Order: sequence, then C-alpha cells, then structure tokens
Amino acid sequence: MKKYDYSDGVLIYYLPKELDHYAAEKIKSGSEKVLDENEVDYLIFDFRKTTFMDSSGIGLVTGRYRRVHDKGGKVFVVNVSESIDKILMMSGIYRIIEKKDTKEDIIKEMIAGGYYE
Amino acid sequence: MNNTNEMSVSFSSNAQNESFARMVIAAFITGTNPTLEEVSDVKTAVSEAVTNSIIHGYRNNTGQVIVNAKVTGRKIYIEIIDYGDGITDVKKAMEPMYTTRPDEERSGMGFSFMEAFMDRIEVESEVGKGTTVKMWKEIGTAGRQFE
Repeated sequence: MKKYDYSDGVLIYYLPKELDHYAAEKIKSGSEKVLDENEVDYLIFDFRKTTFMDSSGIGLVTGRYRRVHDKGGKVFVVNVSESIDKILMMSGIYRIIEKKDTKEDIIKEMIAGGYYE
Repeated sequence: MNNTNEMSVSFSSNAQNESFARMVIAAFITGTNPTLEEVSDVKTAVSEAVTNSIIHGYRNNTGQVIVNAKVTGRKIYIEIIDYGDGITDVKKAMEPMYTTRPDEERSGMGFSFMEAFMDRIEVESEVGKGTTVKMWKEIGTAGRQFE
C-alpha cells in the first residue's frame, strides 16, 4: 500500500487506519526523504482510511506543516471523518491548516490559480 | 446486586502495544452501552496516557505499563501506571502545548486531550518511581440534552 504520492510539487500522504505514536514514527522515518528531495508547494494529508488519531497525529501534521510552510508551501487535510475532525478541531490546527472535502477540490483551486500553466 | 466489573492488564513499553491497550479498553467498557463517540473518547485518553508512559516514563529503559479499569453501572474508572522516570513538575507537564521533547514533534497536547475526553483526571508522579494517571468518565451524560 502506497504511503505517499508525489508529482509536480504536490505531495499527498495517505494516513493509516490508526494514527498513533507508533504509526506516526513509522511515517516520519519512512517518508521524510521525499520532503528532503523535492520541492513541495502543496502538502495534502489524506485521512480517508483513518478511524483513530491521538495527539501524536497532531505532532506529525504540525511537524510536516513547519517544513513545508517555511518554504512557502500550503498544507491541507482531506477526507476527514467526524471523529477525526473533532480531534483536529480541538487541537487548534485549523488555524494553520485548511480542510477540504477531497483533493479534487484543491486541484480545482490550483488550476484556477494557474498552478499548472 | 453488585454490578461492578474490573480488569487489569500489563504489557511491555513497546509502541505496538498502544493499539493493544486501546482495543482492551474499548472491549472492556462495552457493557456501559457507550456511543461510538464515547468509545472513541476513552480510547483517545488511554492512548495518550499509555504513549506518555512509553515515550516519557520509559524513555531510558523498557518496563511494564499497567492498565487497570473498573466499571460500575455506567461509570468508568481507569488507571494507567508505569514505574519509569516520573514527572518532575506535574503542573507544568499538564499545561497545554508543554513538551519536553519538541525535537520529536510531540504536540504537547496529551494531558489536554485526556482532560477533554474524560470527566476528570488526576496525575500522581514521583521522580525515579513512576507515574499513575487516574481517569473517570460517566457514560451517557454528555450531549444528552441534545437528544
């Protein structure tokens, strides 16, 4: 199962079913390289499979946010269920990261903004 | 009739056991007839406490984490115990966003989440001896007025 997808400045992380400390550590060590080697304008966290998350997930997202934001990139979360939304909301993360229904919504905006021209 | 039910598990401080602890507690509290949201709340709180024991309590070594739980009617009581390093300043540790390990991208929200998802929590800790987190929650009380 693919953990992330990168093309044309867009990096999508497919988050696991249970995003706890154990899973967050694995994601960090496994796919940090892609952030080192590529320019990321848009970072998207896809929660479609995620049914559980605790504060370790918040640490993972904010850590990646810092890296991408420092270089002028934008960060989004998509396919967020109600229970995950509750955690994200409580953490205050929506002050810095935007939620969209699907990645297609983000791509539409990118096209409208002339990103692929 | 005495309708109290108790359980206790002990496991080593490996990160894989975080999901084990959540599964055990979710199964144990089924009898209180919780909503999915209430189960999720309790699982999150337990996950936070167990993660703390593993990454902070046993940061320098491995040891056992103990989860004790008791259900009386719809009242849940949970203890998470470790015999690790302990916490120097509990009050400070419980402040939102406080973390001793920012380098590891810890959000510092563990205790805030425990407090938000349970009715009440208490933390007892002694440096060099370990930490006990006690949590209480009554099922069926939150959000009832909206039904």
